[in-house]
Amino acid sequence: MMRFATLMKHPADWMTSGDSETSVVLTSRVRLARNLAGASYPGWARKNERKEVLSKVQAVVKDLPGMQNGFLCELSDLESLQKQVLVERHLISREQAARNEGSAAVINRKQSLSLMINEEDHLRIQAIQPSLNLEKAYRLAHQVDQELEKKLCFAFDAKWGYLTACPTNLGTGMRASAMLHLPGLVLNEQIGQVLKGVGKLGLAVRGLYGEGTESLGNLYQISNQSTLGESEQDILRHLTKVIGDISRYEQQARQRLLKNEPVMLKDRVGRAAGILTHAQIISSKEALNHLSMLRLGADLEIFSTSLQEVCDRLFMGTQPAHLQWAAEKKLEPEARDILRAQMIRDQLHSILPPAIDISE
Amino acid sequence: MKCDSCDNKATVFYTQVTEGKLKKFTLCESCAHQKGITDPNSLLMAGEAFKPSSGSGESSGFVSSDRSNSGCCDTCGFTLGDLKKVGRLGCPDCYGAFAPEIGRRLSSMHKGESHVGHVPSGLVHQIELDESFKKKELELEKAIFDERYEDAAKLRDELERLKAEREVGK
Repeated sequence: MMRFATLMKHPADWMTSGDSETSVVLTSRVRLARNLAGASYPGWARKNERKEVLSKVQAVVKDLPGMQNGFLCELSDLESLQKQVLVERHLISREQAARNEGSAAVINRKQSLSLMINEEDHLRIQAIQPSLNLEKAYRLAHQVDQELEKKLCFAFDAKWGYLTACPTNLGTGMRASAMLHLPGLVLNEQIGQVLKGVGKLGLAVRGLYGEGTESLGNLYQISNQSTLGESEQDILRHLTKVIGDISRYEQQARQRLLKNEPVMLKDRVGRAAGILTHAQIISSKEALNHLSMLRLGADLEIFSTSLQEVCDRLFMGTQPAHLQWAAEKKLEPEARDILRAQMIRDQLHSILPPAIDISE
Repeated sequence: MKCDSCDNKATVFYTQVTEGKLKKFTLCESCAHQKGITDPNSLLMAGEAFKPSSGSGESSGFVSSDRSNSGCCDTCGFTLGDLKKVGRLGCPDCYGAFAPEIGRRLSSMHKGESHVGHVPSGLVHQIELDESFKKKELELEKAIFDERYEDAAKLRDELERLKAEREVGK
């Protein structure tokens, strides 16, 4: 099994594509909630019951074809910083990060598959893919599900489907979501209207880190809400269509801005570039918002298109836990803001060298 | 706490589910006895006993927050009160224990009320057996009603066979 440091040494497969495919839809994620028949859900189970479920599931998960040479760790064996890094990478949930004994995370080498044992449900199978590709993400998660159901008896009811800890996941137990970068619609002030429309279609919109988080860096997560009464394929098809539509609106908004308000657009992008290449102290929130503008500038070829990949790497790398992991120590927010500014300047240096070097 | 009906100390606490809403009753032992709710056999009658005073229409049964009573899941001990508090369930069997309560909540959460989609491979056969068993049961009833006794005998044999097959699968 892989060590945490080895896992973190490489960026996830889905983080590094950096092509035009991902200019609006960064990633697609699918997760399946499963539970063992006859066992109490993690939130209600006693510690020894949770441990029993963990050892049962762990034994089967270890043998999965996709999980050999993967990372497997009980949450109680991880430091809080390590847990936070996994949350920032979307490999475990915030809810699981709060858990300790009896809960475990299993992650494959490419970080495209992660299994959460004893989160809200006994098992959550998650697959992540770059760009808009919910079908493939589902296929990967489904393969794992099919392997596991040969050896584990999942709680299932003919009428209600998969019996999950929360009735909001009942049925397919499937939540599919995509992460979208929508600066064009935000600058155009069409975002409110678009998000309202998404809500009317029965889909949920959230910020960067899921439920209850604000939208930073013009990043939005769109996911299905209903899990009962529609097949997995129908849910994925509907979601893919809506996200495809939003993606086109975003592209149109960007082109319109470039055509109708080129000065305003270049001003926003240019200011972001100026700040990011010269700032000495920068918060995570400010960094995300300027990186969003820089990423837009790369897509519209105001800057080199290779900047998009750099921005995507920095979206993740400048998050508080990633920053501290890279620094190999816990840092106070003030120290983090200084280190973040430095990291951004360093990463941008080859493409956007500073006009004046004030850091010496 | 005082009894709802008199000034004595309340010792009996009941929670009534009426049209999806909870109503709590706090009674002393004698008032509870008078209304027939200390006798487990007359539990279902208790709704009637409250009808004139509560005036809130039809009652769909009684649920006690006491774990030893029918208001909790036999497998894990989770109660309806717990569900209302946390919005999650205790174990998969809770879905059976609180089926009406959960059924009522589903329409506001989901597009449908029954599962469409993937079924675990091991259960496909079991579910098919259950369905054909139910179908044959209805056919048997109809055959008896129509006085087609030869058909009925055949159906009974088939039902026996299906029952045996179902037991093996479980």
